[in-house]
Amino acid sequence: MNPQHHLDPATLVSFASGALGEAMVAVAATHLVGCRRCRALLRDADDIGGRLLAQQQPDRNRQGRFEVLRKAMSERLDGVPLETSPQPKPENVLSVVPEDHLPEPLHRYFGTTYSGLRWRWVAPGVRLIRADNARAGSLIMLKIAPGKSLPTHGHGGTELTQVLRGAYDDRLGHFAPGDMADLDSEVEHQPVTIPGVPCVCVAALEAPLRFRGWLARKLQPLVGL
Amino acid sequence: MHSGYPAWEHSPFEALRAVSPASAQEKDVLYWAREMDAVATRRDRTSFMRIYDHFQPRVQRYLENVGAPEMVAEELAQEALLRLWQRAGSYDNARSSLGTWLFRIARNLQIDRVRREPHWVNVQDALEQLDEFENPGEASATEAVAAHCDLAGRVEKLPAIQARLIRMSYFEGKTHREISDEIDMPLGTVKSNLRRALLRLQVQVRGRP
Ligand SMILES: [Zn+2]
Repeated sequence: MNPQHHLDPATLVSFASGALGEAMVAVAATHLVGCRRCRALLRDADDIGGRLLAQQQPDRNRQGRFEVLRKAMSERLDGVPLETSPQPKPENVLSVVPEDHLPEPLHRYFGTTYSGLRWRWVAPGVRLIRADNARAGSLIMLKIAPGKSLPTHGHGGTELTQVLRGAYDDRLGHFAPGDMADLDSEVEHQPVTIPGVPCVCVAALEAPLRFRGWLARKLQPLVGL
Repeated sequence: MHSGYPAWEHSPFEALRAVSPASAQEKDVLYWAREMDAVATRRDRTSFMRIYDHFQPRVQRYLENVGAPEMVAEELAQEALLRLWQRAGSYDNARSSLGTWLFRIARNLQIDRVRREPHWVNVQDALEQLDEFENPGEASATEAVAAHCDLAGRVEKLPAIQARLIRMSYFEGKTHREISDEIDMPLGTVKSNLRRALLRLQVQVRGRP
C-alpha cells in the first residue's frame, strides 16, 4: 500500500498539537498507520512542539515552590526502577493485519472486523454505519456499490475520508485503499465508485455535509449528519 | 544534591550560548543527549536533576499555557519528569531531541488527564511504536542532531503570521475553524499558512524536495 493522496500538512499540525477532534483523529490515524510519508511529517510537527516547549521562559517568582517540588522529585526517584522498553513485535504493529481486520484506530468505534460490521441501508447502493461514541464531529463508515455515482456535495467544514476497500474517482483524482481525501469547505465533488467491488470508506466530518438534489434530500435525514 | 544554579538562571552550558550562538543549539542537543545517556545507563541522579532543573519549569509553563490549572500543571510536570527517569532507556537522540520527547509526554498527559481522551494517547503510542519498528536508527545521531538544530533555528525565523497560527494550534489547541473565527481569517488562508509553516520546516530538516 503506497498512498497517493495524503493528509494536508495543516491537518498534521493539528494532530501533533492535540487540536484535532476525536472523529478526525480516528480517520487521520487510520491513514498514518499505512503512510510513512505522513508519519515522517508528523514527527516534524512534533518537533515544533518540542521547540516551543524548550522556548518557554520559566517563572522567576516561583523559586520557593520549585525547591519544594525538586526535593519531592528527588525523594521519589528511589522507588522508581528503569522501565525496559518492550520490543515492538510485528504482530502488534498496526499495519500488519489479516484481511478481515479493520485498522486498529477504528476498533473503538466500529469493532475489529469487516465481517462484523452491521450496515444500515440508507439509499440504493449506499450503506452506512455511524459511530455514536466519537465525541467531536461525526464519524461514519460508508459502503457504496460498484459503479455508483454519489450526489454532488460540499462540506460545511473539513472532511477527512480514507478509502479502506474498493476505489472511487472524482475530479481530484483516483482514490484507492490507503488514500486520504482531506477536503475543506471550498471543495465540491461527486465521487464515482469503480466497477467490480464496493467501496468502503471511513469519514470524519467536522460539520454537516451539504448534499444537493433529490438523493441528497433523501440521504440527509437518514444519515442524520 | 542541588546542581548549583537555579533553573531560571543561565546554566553553565547556556552561558556558552551567548558566546557562540552558531553552535549553541547543537551543543544544547548533544548536552542533553549525554545527560540522558547517563540517566539511562548509570541511573545518574545528578544528571537527572540537571535535566529536571532545566526542563521541569518549562514543561510546567507549557502545561499552563495549554490550559492546565497551576496545581494540575505542577502535578503533571512532576509526572512527566518522573516518566523521563523511568523510561530513559527508550529515549533515542537520533529520533528526537529531548525537548520533543518531553513535549510528547507532556502533551499526552494533558490530553489524557485534563481533556480525558485516553484513546488519543493510545493512538499516539501505537504510531510511535510503528515508527520504532519500521525505522530503527534510520539516521545517524550526528545527522539527527544537525536536523534538530536546523529546525530550532527555523521555528524562530517563521514569518510572524505563521508563528502566531502555530502558537494558537500548539498552545491554545485551536482547530483551523476556531482560529479562522477568532482572528477573522478565511479558513483556507489559515490552512495554507499552517501548511507552509510545516513544509518549510520539513524541507529544511530532511532535505526533501
Ligand atoms: Zn500520507
